[in-house]
Amino acid sequence: MAMSEKAKEFNQLFKERLNRQHVLSLTACAHCGMCNDSCHYFLADNDPKMTPAAKADSIRGIYKGHYDWLGKIVPFWVGSRQVKTDEDLERLKDVVFGSCTGCRRCTINCPFGVDMAGIVSLTRSCLVDVEVAPEGVLTVMKDQWETGNQMAVSKEDYLETLEWLEEEVQMELDDADFKVPIDKEGSDFVFVINPREVKYAPLSLQAAFKIFHVAGLDWTMPSEGWDNTNFGLFSGKADLGGHMGNLAYNHAKQLGVNRMVISECGHGFLSTKWEAPNWGKANPLPFEMISILELMVDLINTGTIILDPKKNPLPVTYHDPCNLSRSSGLTEEPRFCLKRSCLDFREMIPNRADSYCCTGGGGAMSMAEYAKKRLSVAKKKADQIRETGAAIVTTACHNCVDGLSDLIKHYDLKYEINGKSMWLPVKNVCELVADAIVIPMELPKRKPRVKEIVKPVKVLVIDDQPDIVDYLEALLQDNGYEVITAHDGDEGIEKAKADRPDLITLDVSMPGKSGVTVFHELRNTPTFEDIPIFIVTGVVDFRQLMYQKTVEAPEGFMQKPINPEVFLMTVDRLTDRTRQKVAVEESGKPA
Amino acid sequence: MPAELNWHELMPFTHLLVHNLHYIALAFMVVAYTIKIWSILKKPAAREGTPAKGDHKKAIQYSFLLLARPDEMESTRKQWYRWIEFAVFHVAMAVGIAVAFTMPWAHEAMKGSFIVYFQQGIFGIAALIGISRLVRRITRADMRAISTPDDYFCLILLTLWMGSGVMNAPQTSEFWLLSYFSMATFFLFYVPFSKISHYICWPFMRYYMGKHFGHRGVYPKKRIAGA
Repeated sequence: MAMSEKAKEFNQLFKERLNRQHVLSLTACAHCGMCNDSCHYFLADNDPKMTPAAKADSIRGIYKGHYDWLGKIVPFWVGSRQVKTDEDLERLKDVVFGSCTGCRRCTINCPFGVDMAGIVSLTRSCLVDVEVAPEGVLTVMKDQWETGNQMAVSKEDYLETLEWLEEEVQMELDDADFKVPIDKEGSDFVFVINPREVKYAPLSLQAAFKIFHVAGLDWTMPSEGWDNTNFGLFSGKADLGGHMGNLAYNHAKQLGVNRMVISECGHGFLSTKWEAPNWGKANPLPFEMISILELMVDLINTGTIILDPKKNPLPVTYHDPCNLSRSSGLTEEPRFCLKRSCLDFREMIPNRADSYCCTGGGGAMSMAEYAKKRLSVAKKKADQIRETGAAIVTTACHNCVDGLSDLIKHYDLKYEINGKSMWLPVKNVCELVADAIVIPMELPKRKPRVKEIVKPVKVLVIDDQPDIVDYLEALLQDNGYEVITAHDGDEGIEKAKADRPDLITLDVSMPGKSGVTVFHELRNTPTFEDIPIFIVTGVVDFRQLMYQKTVEAPEGFMQKPINPEVFLMTVDRLTDRTRQKVAVEESGKPA
Repeated sequence: MPAELNWHELMPFTHLLVHNLHYIALAFMVVAYTIKIWSILKKPAAREGTPAKGDHKKAIQYSFLLLARPDEMESTRKQWYRWIEFAVFHVAMAVGIAVAFTMPWAHEAMKGSFIVYFQQGIFGIAALIGISRLVRRITRADMRAISTPDDYFCLILLTLWMGSGVMNAPQTSEFWLLSYFSMATFFLFYVPFSKISHYICWPFMRYYMGKHFGHRGVYPKKRIAGA
């Protein structure tokens, strides 16, 4: 059989990119099977093809086909194989993208230390270059190359969100002096973040800002190079990895900061602190890089911030993100913070470097085609969480927040509070620290700031569940919004045409026309282009809207059960521009 | 009283095997391993350019010593019996190789009952471990999925070798001497091509693993006060 062009290119790239550590990992395995029980993909249903050794053999076989003495002469004897067709490449794609999150749990349990993440990354890089990769990964890579961030947030939107957050923190602290400094030269540190925080989950940013302000730190947000995430890591592409790192490093150099503080993001920390300086040949850098977890430990240790754990009375557990615990050694810092922020901290067993992956690592959240499998193998993690009996799950990674939120719904992990059964919320560590922080007496004496809604903005709520519609309608009306409701997709589109809302909240799972179809129809209708869409859903299908982006991604999303505080914050953020426009029209002054 | 093997009246082939072929095979193995290591080392190593968070030296030590610390890895902590199997089996292999190279010239000294019983004990246990490993490899679906013909072949042959070691230890029969040495010689020729050569990679693997995880502050595992 003739070799396909893609297979030829793949084989060539595979040989070119092998380094010494790859070769050792591909040569050393003795098939002892000690790693088998370390992989959540295998533990979910004992599928023998899902053991780390079996998955590694898909790559090892290719290596043996090229280099192993016996592998070249009698391939079947040592399990060597060749990649000849596009189908072979597709099968390999399913292994390295769809069956491994690169969590390295097998690596630390291997008597040799076979680096599964290393060889998976090598293979991913070759597959990406022949364009055999999940659509979501390729789209996000393109966005990072073109816009400098993984969610294609424009500079205008980014700065507007920071401004809006500034107001939120002013309101929360009742202090008009609070400012989000942008590009403040000579600051002690620059704070680099995950675009998810800007686009969909600003609570962690708000929490971080609050901590920085109360601690009186000298900090700044960068106007560029602010994305700490890096699809160079998930795609194995060092050129993209280096590019993303250098965007952040170069801007930090221009600002002349002493430190770069990296927000709670597992792969963001791993790539920004450890990988990207090597990929982008950026060493040595003139500033130190630390995680916000390390910063918070320092603030607590020095008494710069005082915490009152009674403010977080519910039982809390912590999930160790793989890229922080196994690949960066950050296991104690989050515990240090949580034990001082919560009354009842409960360990997940096993934990630290032995923790199981949230199942959303390795870019899995952007791979819609593997979502079903991702959730099916999340059973081990779900059992771990259930056994803690915690009411709140914390983690120090936004990918993990998404992965855990999905599995909590899938496995129906609930906690009863005041007679109401609720799905467990997943929070970042800094959110609990910020909640526990004791505000110094002098802060409330500063100028108070009150935000006013000048004129009600109009929100269209589309959801098939009448109780959700009623709840959102009441919640929005109580907070000064004008509300229109629709109970299915067709009615939603009709009402959007008739009433021209300022914002649409949209459920994904609805009988008849699904939310995904409605979303595409709205996006493809020119008159609706400028109406922000806020996905409010209990299913995971919406992630393809965020990552694959056949049309522009939704401006907001939240998972059910609805947290009213987060819901209102998002509505407020998404309608902020409308409010400002109305204020200018009516009084000539911005709101 | 069992018959004693007369080392001065060995068959010509046995003599050739024990005194010549055996060493030729060893030389071949050394050359093959040298080429193998060279082919690994000629690939460029990935290097860290970032400032280190941890201590490389301590981490490399820790990485190597994990071999003797089954409590430090979940896999060996939970499957402690497999760690014991591993330890005994590998010690038996080392003893087997040592016996193969000392017996031809120290056979008289090795007739002492302690040495004979020691060999029979360790080879016997290793043979039983070999059988149990083979059974596990055949009966468990996850083990079958990662096993190649080479894996089965090596395990069967090593188990037979250990069995022949038990029989050869008292030096009573040329048949067992021939069995033991022909298998040992075959291994020396075959090992560089098979999965058994994994041990050549082990020091390099643990070195790089220790260096990598040490650089990033993962190894040695640590706790901070109050956490």
